[in-house]
Amino acid sequence: MIDNGLLVQMLIGALLGVSVYLPLAAGQLSLATPAFYAVGGTLAALLSTSWPALGAGPDGSLPLASFLLVLLLGGLLAGGLALLVGRLVLRLQGIYLAIATIALVEIVRVAILNLPFTGGAIGIFGIPQPFPTAAGYLLPALGLLALAGWVCQRLEVMPLGRAMAAVRNDELAAGCMGIDTTRVKLTVFVLSAVLAGSTGALAAHFLNTWNARQGSFDTAVTMLAFVILGGSRSWLGPVVGGLLLTALPELLRPVGDGRLVLFALVILLGPVLFPQGLITPALLERLGRLGERAVASDQRPSGEGRP
Amino acid sequence: MSTPLLEVRDLTCRFGGLVALNRVSFAVQPGEIFGLIGPNGAGKTTLFNLISGLTPPSGGAVLWRGAPITGLPPFRRNRLGLARTFQNLRLFDGLSVLDNLLVALQRQPGESLLGGLVASTSHRRAERQRLDRAGQLLEELGLAALAERPAGTLAYGDRRRLEIARALTTRPSLLLLDEPAAGMNPAEKDDLCGLIGQLRSRHQLTVMVIEHHVPLLMRLCDRMAVLDFGERIALGTPEQVRHDPRVIEAYLGGAPP
Amino acid sequence: MIEALLQTLLNGAATGGVYALVALGYTLVFSVLGVINFALGALFSLGGYLTYLLMGGAISANGALPGWGLPLALPFPLALLLAAALTGLASLVVESVAFAPLRRRNAEPLLYLITSLGAGLALVNLLQMLMGAEGYAFPAGALAGLPAAVVVGGARIRSVQVLLLAVCAAAVLALTLWLEHSRSGRALRAVAEDATTARLLGINSDAMLRLAFLVSGGLTGLGGGLIGVSISLPGPYVGIGYGLKGLAVLVLGGLGSVPGAIAGGLLMGLAEALVPGEASGWRDALAFAILFAVLLLRPNGLLGRRLVEKV
Repeated sequence: MIDNGLLVQMLIGALLGVSVYLPLAAGQLSLATPAFYAVGGTLAALLSTSWPALGAGPDGSLPLASFLLVLLLGGLLAGGLALLVGRLVLRLQGIYLAIATIALVEIVRVAILNLPFTGGAIGIFGIPQPFPTAAGYLLPALGLLALAGWVCQRLEVMPLGRAMAAVRNDELAAGCMGIDTTRVKLTVFVLSAVLAGSTGALAAHFLNTWNARQGSFDTAVTMLAFVILGGSRSWLGPVVGGLLLTALPELLRPVGDGRLVLFALVILLGPVLFPQGLITPALLERLGRLGERAVASDQRPSGEGRP
Repeated sequence: MSTPLLEVRDLTCRFGGLVALNRVSFAVQPGEIFGLIGPNGAGKTTLFNLISGLTPPSGGAVLWRGAPITGLPPFRRNRLGLARTFQNLRLFDGLSVLDNLLVALQRQPGESLLGGLVASTSHRRAERQRLDRAGQLLEELGLAALAERPAGTLAYGDRRRLEIARALTTRPSLLLLDEPAAGMNPAEKDDLCGLIGQLRSRHQLTVMVIEHHVPLLMRLCDRMAVLDFGERIALGTPEQVRHDPRVIEAYLGGAPP
Repeated sequence: MIEALLQTLLNGAATGGVYALVALGYTLVFSVLGVINFALGALFSLGGYLTYLLMGGAISANGALPGWGLPLALPFPLALLLAAALTGLASLVVESVAFAPLRRRNAEPLLYLITSLGAGLALVNLLQMLMGAEGYAFPAGALAGLPAAVVVGGARIRSVQVLLLAVCAAAVLALTLWLEHSRSGRALRAVAEDATTARLLGINSDAMLRLAFLVSGGLTGLGGGLIGVSISLPGPYVGIGYGLKGLAVLVLGGLGSVPGAIAGGLLMGLAEALVPGEASGWRDALAFAILFAVLLLRPNGLLGRRLVEKV
């Protein structure tokens, strides 16, 4: 059933969903998230197991401050890689961009598999833990998700967010209206990478071991499924999609060997049954109106007191 | 004579073997309404694409206030003061009418990404200014009542005006209008004529207009250029152009006007 | 020495041939529908396993029915062809389940990516349930009658690679002839070129689409059987790897280009074969590094057409 460990995994799924959602919100079909997830996780695994300054104890514990530092570094490294690669890759359009990012994921996966210091096929194990139980990870994961959600929500009333929507609607016209489309696409790409990298760092510690299999092509498309099935119009969609689709294989365990087939069928039938995803624009509008009414009812008493 | 706002010099554009524009030259003076006419396929939209930076020229140059702007991407040209509308309307259909305008309003100096994230005072002030400006333009173009509607659901005439409003949001010095009256009935065309004149004076604009409907341009423009098969065959006031034999031949095949 | 080089080049060409088959599978569907069929990798695996079973192979201890095998043992060529045909039929099932419902409601291209992957994953996991996750080597007498090695120009080279290359070449030739000279092949190309006009000319584009899926599945299944017999089937996920490589070749050669898929496949195969043994772990990355580099220089692939946006 849903225990703390599964909850953390669901939150990781939600985080990765948002990471895939961000470039899509700017009209870029980038499937690069697993590459940045893998990079962040690998860095975290390496640092926590081999950097004495972090203070990993002989009992396999890790100070909280070191853990947070590693989260930050994982995000930064991923962001740096995105900055380098993004300039080149974002010149591509549509399906070519998607495939170039798939190629990136594969290159990163093979690199991690073959580099001498990343543990090969077995990977790195025995990663120190900042928390004694899985429950300890709930707070950092929720915190990261809240941060990501807040950024996404704020973007909607910021020039950058509007520029993203414009680029998604019509990149050419957006350019003619003075929007530096390259810069917008690159910024979003880097934001998405930083989120994926930090999530990877968190996941590496949570899972205690890390290997090249963490970032692969089928995880890329599964994450895309989080966005498509959850709804691609708002960041809430990939959160819901990520939570549900990560929980599903676990919840289906009683079914036995057929559960992966069932999971695949959900992915197969989802777009057919829910073409707009679960969090549809109509639902968003209703949620928005509920929010407005709540604010209005807060303000009424003070308004009525005025002469 | 003051420096022209825009000048094209020997501008040429080739697509493979096809010559779309052949050594076209003219200058547009600040404050004037400059028309561009010619039969279908004469190269008018191609010329706009070269001026706005969407297509690179095969030869010649585009000069803005005397300085060449070859190689500048469209967004930089817009920030210099050049805005355009499109023949086939390229609105952000998924966004509301208001958002279509807000998109074109960039970050103000002093406003930062971080400020936006934390809703700082400078961000909120900039937002208010953006909303004010967008609201003004919507009023001016008669679209205020439609502010929250998705742009894709508007009636055709409103969509055309929204394109113009959006272009105006970027505070241009030069406004390129590509067939702004397409699909309009005579009454609407009259209104548009009046509107363009008003916009010119209210916003200190220079305007270049491509139009098929020649009488409209004859009334509206101070000067015009005529293209045929990618070449400039006439340049002057509407009166001069009307009586130019090459123009008559291009449009009417040699019959007297 | 020259022998080693010849063997390497031949290996590369043979593998490249298989990549080309997969890439052609993508190309056929892409040229008619404009989307990529992400279930193709799964169909590759299916072709491999079907060939194995049709040759009388038995399910291993990890599978659903350990020790069970089909009550027949066909010779390899027949098993291969039949497996390819059956994979083609399976491809039709994929079309009706993952593509047709979306086409009926004019869904955006992104959704096909998801449903086709879902179909592919379902198929791969079904295979795993049935056959188990362990590797399968083909029956020992599979290539009976074929000498282990062939002498070409004084050098001995493995004949199974020659067979691979020969079969791929034959398949590609047959495909090209069919597309150029047969009614159905030309009709298919017409639909790929311009579906509306084709329909006006009386061509049933729905039928052509299904034909594209059928042939696409057949080609890919053929590839799976060939890899199975020449190397082995390491597991149901083998097709995913070839599917990805095929995708790289597809984009390398230019989406929708048949000669591009062939040239790209050979190029990819040869490049991989020339990677020295010490760096063999990096071989998989080479295909994608090449793809990456090519896309940066020529965003539409080697032979793809440049798409000009009308303003």
